[in-house]
This record gives sequence, C-alpha cells and structure tokens, in this order.
Amino acid sequence: MTSSSLSLDHSSAHPSAQSSGATSGLGPWSAILLLAPLTLLMLGILLYPLGLTVWTSLYDGQLSVRAYGELATSTLFLKVLRNTIEIAVTGTLVSLVFGYPVALHLAAQPPRRRTACLIMVMLPFWTSILVKSFALVAVFGNQGLLNQLLGYLSGGQVNLPMMFNRVGVVLGMINFLLPFMILSILGSLLALDRRLVLAAETMGAGALRIFWKVILPLSMPGVVAGVLINVTLSIGMYITPALLGGRQDMMVANLVDFYTRQTLDWPAASATAVVLLAISGLLVAMLGRVRGGGLPGGAA
Amino acid sequence: MTFLSASAAPASANPVSVVPTVAPAASAMVELRAVTKRYGQFEALHRIDLSIAKGEFVTLLGPSGSGKTTLLNLIAGMIMPSSGQIVIDGRDATGLPTNQRGLGMVFQNYALMPHMTVFENIAFPLQVRGLARSEIKRKVTDVLDLIQLGHVAGRRPRELSGGQQQRVSLARCIVYNPALILMDEPLGALDKKLREQMQLEIKRLHAELGITMLYVTHDQDEALTMSDRIVLMNGGRIEQEGPPDTLYFKPETVFSAEFIGSSNLIPGEVEAVENGTVTLRTALGRFPVPAPDRPVRAGEPAVLLVRPENMVLTDRPGPTGVTGRIEDSILLGGVVRHFLRCADGTTVIVQELNQPGRAGARRDDTVRAAWSVEHGRLLPPPPAR
Ligand SMILES: Nc1ncnc2c1ncn2[C@@H]1O[C@H](COP(=O)(O)OP(=O)(O)OP(=O)(O)O)[C@@H](O)[C@H]1O
Ligand SMILES: [Mg+2]
Repeated sequence: MTSSSLSLDHSSAHPSAQSSGATSGLGPWSAILLLAPLTLLMLGILLYPLGLTVWTSLYDGQLSVRAYGELATSTLFLKVLRNTIEIAVTGTLVSLVFGYPVALHLAAQPPRRRTACLIMVMLPFWTSILVKSFALVAVFGNQGLLNQLLGYLSGGQVNLPMMFNRVGVVLGMINFLLPFMILSILGSLLALDRRLVLAAETMGAGALRIFWKVILPLSMPGVVAGVLINVTLSIGMYITPALLGGRQDMMVANLVDFYTRQTLDWPAASATAVVLLAISGLLVAMLGRVRGGGLPGGAA
Repeated sequence: MTFLSASAAPASANPVSVVPTVAPAASAMVELRAVTKRYGQFEALHRIDLSIAKGEFVTLLGPSGSGKTTLLNLIAGMIMPSSGQIVIDGRDATGLPTNQRGLGMVFQNYALMPHMTVFENIAFPLQVRGLARSEIKRKVTDVLDLIQLGHVAGRRPRELSGGQQQRVSLARCIVYNPALILMDEPLGALDKKLREQMQLEIKRLHAELGITMLYVTHDQDEALTMSDRIVLMNGGRIEQEGPPDTLYFKPETVFSAEFIGSSNLIPGEVEAVENGTVTLRTALGRFPVPAPDRPVRAGEPAVLLVRPENMVLTDRPGPTGVTGRIEDSILLGGVVRHFLRCADGTTVIVQELNQPGRAGARRDDTVRAAWSVEHGRLLPPPPAR
C-alpha cells in the first residue's frame, strides 16, 4: 500500500479518543461504543486511503481505466509482475521444502521440547525485518562470513555472489516466511491421530509409505494454508527486494514506490497497487476456504 | 468362503515372511516368556508367561489399569518389554519392529484413514504387500461382501455409522489374512445391541477363517460369550486363566470370583478337614464345604463362595443355609434377585428363575437361603492391602 498516505492520515485519526469513558453500559450501545474507536481508526487509516488509491487509479480528469490499460501493455510492469510471481513462488517452495521437515521434527518432540524449539523458530519472526536484512548481508555478503570462510578454504578461489541478486531476495524472504510455513504445517501434524500411524505400521507399512500415504495427505490442509500465507506475504514484499536484491529483482511493491517517487505517475502507482491488492485479496479468500490448518494469527 | 481359499496362496508371497529362528514351540502362535514392562518405577506388567495356541480365541479380561492394553501393545511391537521374550509363530519377535510382525490389529476407535475411501482403506495393507491391482480389487470386493458392506465401498469413513466403521476396520484386518489378530476393546464405542451383533460376527469370522485372536475387553459378558480361553488380569499379573466355564465355576481367588459373575462371599476360619470336606466357621454359622485341590489346615482363614443362582429359598432345614430378611427383590427379565440381610449385617444374594404366576417371597419376609454342599467353593482369603 502507499506508505505516504499512511503517514498522512495517522495524525487525523487521533481525535478518536472521544468515547473512552463510555464502557460501563450493558445494552446494545456498549458494543457499538466499544467498537467505535477502532472502527473509526480503521476507516481513517485503511479504508479512506484505500478508496483514495482506487479513485486515483480510475480518475485522471475523468473516470477511465486507462491506467490499467497502460499497465497491461507496459513491459516494465509485466516484467516486474513476472519477477514478483517467480520470486514469491520460489521463496514459498524453498520455505516449504525446508519448513516441512522442521515441522515434522517438531511434531515428534515431547511437548516441553517442542515449546523450546518453537521459540527458536519464532525468534526471526520477532526480529525487525530491517535488522534481519543487515544480518543476512553480514553472513552472506561478498565480504560476509560465509564467503570469507569459502575464500579461506579455497585459497581465495571461491566467492559466491549471494547478496544483491535473486539468491539474496529468496534468502531474505524464506527467513521471514519459514515461521509461517512451519507453524501452519505443525498445526496439521499435531491434529493427526497417532493411531493412524500405528495402524499403518501393524499392516506392515514402512516409514516411507506411511509418510507418503498417511502423514503427507493428512497434513495437506496445513501445507496449502502455509503455501497461501507465504505467497500472500511474499507477493507484497518491499524491504527485502529493496535491500537484498539487485536491479533485476524489482517486485510490484517496489514498482509502486518507483512510480510514486521517481516518475510521479500517481495513476500508474495506484493501478499497480490495486492489482497487487486484488491478487493478495484473492489469495486470502482462498486461504479462508482452507480449514483445519492451524493458522497463526495476523500476518505482517 | 471363496475369499478364504483364494487368499491362502498369496500369503506366502508376503514380503513379511516368517523365518523360524527359535525352535518351533509346538503349535503356539504367541508365547510370552517372563515379560515385564516397567514405566519408571511402576511395573505395568510383572513376569507374564502366556501361550496362545494357533486358532485360539483368547480374551484378556481385567479392570482398568490392569495392563491389558500394555500386553497387547507389547505383542504388536508398539512398545518394547523391559525384560522377557516374545515369540510370535515360532520366531523371536522381542525386538522386531511393528511392521515386520505380520499381524493385524483392530483399534477401539477404528483408526480408519479419514482421507481414503472404504475401498482404499481395505486395499491399503494389500498395496503394502505389493499385490497386483486386479488381485487387490478382487480381494477387497470379496471381503466387503463378507461384511455386507459392498454398497459403501466408495464412501469415506466419516460417512459411515459406528458399527459400519468397526466392520470396515475388521475387514481391513482380515483381508490380508494375518495369522494373528489383536483387538483392543473393539466394540467399546458401540451400543449394547450392536455390540452383541458384532460379537457374533467376530466369532463367526474366527470360526470361518481360523485366525488366532487376542481380544481385550473389560466386559465379563463379552469375555464369556466369545472366548475359548479367558486370561484374567489384575494389577499387571495374570490372576487366573482358563476356559470361560472354569473361570466362572472354579474361580481360584476372591478377585476372580468377584470379577466374573456375581458372588456371595462368606469369610470364616477352617475348623476341621476330613474326608474331603472342610468345615468352615463363619459369623453366619458352621458350613461344610468340599475341600479344594490345594492343601488346607485347620485354623487358617478362608472364604466361602456360593453363586447366587445356586442358592434357593426354602423352608426345609439342611446343613448349609442362612436366614435373613428380604430387603429388596429385583426383576431381571428371566430371573429374580433377592437381597437378604442376615443377622450380622452381611448381604446375601439369591437368584431364582422367574416364572409366570411365581408365588415368590416378598420384601421384609424372613426366609432361609440354602445351597447344596457341592455348590460351595473354598477360596483363600484375599491378600491384605
Ligand atoms: N506410557 C505410560 N507411562 C506410564 N504409565 C503407563 C503408560 N502406559 C500405561 N501405563 C500404566 O500402566 C498400567 C496399565 O495400563 P493399560 O493401558 O495396559 O491398562 P488397561 O488394562 O488397558 O486399562 P483400560 O481397561 O483402562 O484400558 C496403568 O496403570 C497405566 O497407568
Ligand atoms: Mg486399555
């Protein structure tokens, strides 16, 4: 979303403290009064700018969909959109491949151990994305720990470019995405009846078959939820591609920024934002239909 | 059963082949030798010795926590014994993983795969055994006919009733013709009528297929109905084992007598032993009792057991009988039970056949309950707790 309008409306939403003393009522009014502050705040900082964005994308002197038509033919937009989808899908798949075994391991731990391990999973989740990005540069950058080690081991022969390119973006992204994937799959795995595994064992099934035929299919709701959450989150990434990607790795959110600040093309920026919102909205709607995959709370 | 004869051959092509590594122990399907299971300090099973013959239907009966499930899970390989040896079909299986034991198990809550149809559920163990597609289809269809559920083959388990689910879980077991089937309270979740129907069905399958079955229940009626042999468990030990008749008519301990059937237990002290008859002195009088197989000496404490159905209300005097006031009489369909309160406060239960126009004793009547001497049974006193 456009960050400039966010900061603008923040100040205007402050006077909503008016109903703070009115919580004692028990009638239907109390619900309205209790919900009013947040509702006003959301109207002010979310719906109003959102409406403004949609309006801007549709109005340039008169109502038209010209901005969308131009996007559809803009090579820059199409390339960035393809980039975005590629990066989001790559990040999600990598996160799935790394996250599933972790979730499987966590599910097999006794509850105490699991809690301890979960804290480690959540640690990057609680860390600022900015801090994490710089930490990643320190580890994976050209002069980073990993390359220094590789250089030392190979006598200065090997230096892998892992930052400020596609690899950097995906690395930064999975660092952010993994907790969502792991928690989501773990929810499904914990809901799985252990006796099903025992039953499969008594029927002679080996570990591999049990995984493919019993555990994986039954954890699919968690996998699908995790994938949808990951794609939704990664498709709107802004900081990570800006800090860890190269020129070729611009994503849709960065394009919005480009239009608003470099070319000052507000209709194009707005139309781009609306397209991004529509894609995310679609994914969230799909997510709503996947039940049973213990979803972690609000996304970033 | 066409299904039966057909399934005999491919069973040998089973990847879970059975290689005898222990001297074949006669015809035992399962043999437990001094098996102990400890959880920390707690002994869930104490040096269990048990042998189950091929084709036998054995029931593990016992109160909650007596170790029935533990014993079953040890045989299935889901838990490992702390010490002792488990031999299955002549092969030492003590450390063998579950999936190589080649047995079947029916779970209390069915444990059907929720993401598979009924057909796929039953086909699963056959796929594990690498059978051809056509072969699988034929066998699953046959076994579905056997349990009369052909019409639900395409449904998911959650679209079936409890009884139907239970039949499917049974079918999933017998379809691969395991030599041994373990069942842990398979009928626990069903209502009484369905239970009795399923009991008969399981018995019929057992008789037709000749599979060895080890069945866990804490329902004595179920155990009496179904078993060739009952193994009565108590606190991690085998209290007594034998055919249902033996357990019912010849209990060896107070625990056995109380657990199976209802019983009148009159404690006392042995006064004399002569000519195969023991005289027991009790608070209700002196009674002659047939001498038990074990040696008894005068002066030792003992308990007299008389089953309620062996007691009669009578006016005729005799050597064995007690007098009491009828506190309550309850009608159980074909039989009537009278609860007699004796002078010292003991309650004695008398069970009579109910007949139309039965004159019968009334509440508050003072009556005499008698039994023939040979119906009394002398038990050792229960261990002090
Ligand atoms: N994993 C475990 N850890 C500690 N103790 C256990 C464990 N599993 C079972 N026990 C104990 O072992 C004893 C026997 O348990 P088991 O489940 O075999 O009883 P059961 O005869 O099957 O009883 P029920 O009729 O209630 O099913 C119980 O006292 C139980 O508390
Ligand atoms: Mg049990």
